[in-house]
This record gives sequence, C-alpha cells and structure tokens, in this order.
Amino acid sequence: MKTLAVGSEAVIYEKDSIIIKRRAKKKYRIKEIDEKLRKSRSKAEFNIMNFLYRNGLNVPKPLKYVDRKKEIRMERIDGTRLAEDFSSYDAKNIGTAVAEMHNLGIIHGDLTTANMIKTDKKLYIIDFGLSFHSLKDEDFASDIFLFKNALKSKHNDLYKEAYSCFLNAYKSKIRKEFKGIDTHLKDIEERRRYNESY
Amino acid sequence: MYTLGVESTAHTFGVGISDNDRIIANERDTLKPAVGGIIPREAALHHFKFAPEILKKALDKSGLKLRDIDLFAFSQGPGIIPALKVGAQFSTFLAKKYGKKLIGVNHCIAHLEIARLYTKLNDPVMLYVSGGNTQIITYYNGMYIIFGETQDIGVGNLIDKIGRRLNMPFPAGPKIEEMARASKHYIEMPYSVKGMDVSFSGIETFVSKLIGKERVEDISFSLQETIFSMLIEASERAMSYCLKDSLVITGGVAANKRINEMGEKMCRERNASFKAIPMQFAGDNGAMIAYTGYLMRDYKQKDLGIKPKFRTDTVEIMYR
Repeated sequence: MKTLAVGSEAVIYEKDSIIIKRRAKKKYRIKEIDEKLRKSRSKAEFNIMNFLYRNGLNVPKPLKYVDRKKEIRMERIDGTRLAEDFSSYDAKNIGTAVAEMHNLGIIHGDLTTANMIKTDKKLYIIDFGLSFHSLKDEDFASDIFLFKNALKSKHNDLYKEAYSCFLNAYKSKIRKEFKGIDTHLKDIEERRRYNESY
Repeated sequence: MYTLGVESTAHTFGVGISDNDRIIANERDTLKPAVGGIIPREAALHHFKFAPEILKKALDKSGLKLRDIDLFAFSQGPGIIPALKVGAQFSTFLAKKYGKKLIGVNHCIAHLEIARLYTKLNDPVMLYVSGGNTQIITYYNGMYIIFGETQDIGVGNLIDKIGRRLNMPFPAGPKIEEMARASKHYIEMPYSVKGMDVSFSGIETFVSKLIGKERVEDISFSLQETIFSMLIEASERAMSYCLKDSLVITGGVAANKRINEMGEKMCRERNASFKAIPMQFAGDNGAMIAYTGYLMRDYKQKDLGIKPKFRTDTVEIMYR
C-alpha cells in the first residue's frame, strides 16, 4: 500500500489502482467526539459520492465503505490537482461542475482548488467529507463564498478574473433564480465580523 | 528607536514601550465588571481614569521620559468605539505635543507580530482566540490572510455568555476550565466546522437549554472539548492547506490549558512545532502595539482615525 497524501483529516493510500481514504484518529480530540465525527463523515461522504456518481457527475467511482477502519474505497483518477496548475479557464469548468452538483441538491462544504482534479477532458470534484444535502439558497451561497475565499487566498493573482469566470458559468447552469442566491451571498459576507461594508 | 504603543480596543488599557525589537515596558489595567459583560461607555471611562497612571508606570519601568520617545503607535481597531477613541485621542495628543510620528496599528496583526517575536517561529499559523475575535491568520502572498474565522460570535464571547447563565464571574473562562477538569462525561453537542470557518451560535442555544438539566461540570467539559476540537481542526486545515509547520495560539482564551494541550498534540502528530507565548503577551497589551508600530515605522498613513471594523486582511505588509 502506497501513501499518496496526508491531509489534515484523512490519509490517502493507493493499492492496485484503488484509492483508499482513511480518516485517521485524532489524539487531540476525546474518543467520543473523534469516533462520531470519523464515522459520520466517512459514511456521509460515501453516500453522497455514490449519489453523485449515479447521477452522472464527474466524481471518483465509490466502491466500498469499511466501517471498522472508517475508510472509503474508490477508483483512481489520473490527472493533476487544480491547486498545482490553475488557470482562469479552469474556473469556468468549476462553475459548471458546481452548478450541476447544486442542481442535484448537494453542497460540497469545502470547495477549494485542492479538492479538484483535472484530466485531459474532464474536471473532477473530490473530497466530500463536509458535504450535505440541501436545496436552500443560503447553502448554495455558502459554497460559492467558500470557493471565492479559497481563490483569494490561494490564487490571489488570478482571483478577480477567475471568480467572474466561475460565477458566469455557474449562473448559466444553475436551475434556480440566481438573484436569491446572490442575496444570501451578500448576506454571508456582511455577517462576518468587522466588515467595513456595513 | 523607542516606540510607545497604546492599546484600548476592549476592556484593557495598556501602554508598552519597545526599544527597537526589545520590549522594555508593558503595563496595563483591565476593567472587571462586577456583573454582566463590558459596557462600552464604562470601558471608555475606565481607560480615561487609568491612562495617566498606566503611562507613568510604563515610563518608570523603562526609565524613559516622554520626550525620549521617538515614535507613538496606537490600536486603530477592531474594537469597541468608545474604548478605541480613548487610545486614539491619548496617543494623538502625545504625538502632537512631542512632535513625533504616529502610527495606527491593526490589533490582530499586533497579536501575530508579538507572537512571532516571542516564540521565534518565523512563519506560523496563528489561532487568535479572545472575547471578540476568533481568527486563523497566516502570512500568504504578501498579506496576513484570515483562513478561517467565526461566522458569528467570538469563542470567548460564547464562553462568557454560557458563564453568565451559570452565574460565573466575568470572564468565565477560568471557572469553566476548573469545572471541566472535574468531569469526564461528554454530552453530545453540535459540532460546526464549515470549511475553515467555525460557528458558535448554535452551540450557545444548545448549551443554554442544558442548564439546569445537566451538571455544570459536564456542561463545562463538553463545551470545552467541542469548541476547542473545532478550533484545532480548523487550524490544522489551515496548516495543511498553506503548508505551514508551526502553530501559535494567542488571545485571552490562550490562557486555557486544554486548548494549548490540544494544539500541542495536533502539532506533534503532524511533526509541526507548537509554542505557547508568555501570558502577558497573549492577552491584549500595549507592548504588541509598540512593537508593531516599530515594524511599521516607515509607513505613510493617511487615515489615523479609529477603525472599529478593521479587518486583518486589508493591511498591506511592507516590512516582511
């Protein structure tokens, strides 16, 4: 078994072209919290991936959830992480992918370029560890807000251009009145502490 | 170069003096309300009353006279308006009277700079946890960026609100910590990490409903474990995302032993370093304002008014 990546939450292994995502124990948390989080997050993640995959979205094909080890097994994707190679053109594809995911009622919860993989033709969204079901404007907006912040912090030089490409693609694909989402988006920004806009 | 810094964002009035990057005085007085929390007007009155005394103490400690000071600095924000005004007026007056330059400092950045100075960690992720502030800050692409923050109330504020309902004195942190040590029974609570952000208002409502039904010790224990796990998890995410290998915890809540223990354990598991900063520099203090003012000595600032909603990620960092 080869270790591919050690994230903040989980360790990713590879074995015979299968990706294993195992949520490691965190010693800083008490057992009651740690067990509960690892189990519920892994299980929910597996179910959501399954749901998206069956509905034709570009996500890794989920294979199995193993409760004893709190691990998910999935198929491998050959590509590069967007965090390492990102352009404004990718932002457009992200906008489309996120809108399609939202149309199915799934909120990602951790939209960053580190959680996206591109191959020659397709863009895959990965890591559904913080995802949940919702069709509320507020939740759609919180996903967009997260992504906006991620762009700002990780790709500051491209941020403005990339964000507008993302948003235009998102608007054209989302099957909902964007105005409602936009209102919540502004709300979320204003809700933060010390915002100079109010 | 002698820099005198004035801190007055919340309930602490502090004056610190630095000789280049060496702190030579750090004096303060903190308003401790008998009941309830901080009333803005009373904080301001407190600062007015103590300003001359604290200034004198700091000067005595450093062995300097006011005319020896080369640069004045004050905390521009974020903070409570009446309290901020006192520090701004006080330092503006001193700078004008002695014909010296005045520098306006962002309070949150000052916390980070003093932490870097005292821990010798050059580029840490900082978990800044106090009454009003809960931010995960790190240096990235030439700015101090807030990687995660609370979406509603500060963590100290949450602890104080719960404490008040449990009839604990302000600040409630020490009492909650003491109670928590007497329990091992965990009551399940909402755990709300949203990406890198955290949210506390749901926990406040939830815990309020437990009061009277569960033991105070169990509530305190479960509250601490839940909120600190959330904060350490968000910090770890920031470290992992920006590839930083050290963590500093600062702010008033950093006085809590449990959060430091958790931070240390998390860092050990990922081979990162963790350092605590001396408590006198973790809470609000004037020394951090003086030192950051010294770092910013060449800045040309146009706006030297107070900025109650001053965001960390709007300051251009030209000295790093």
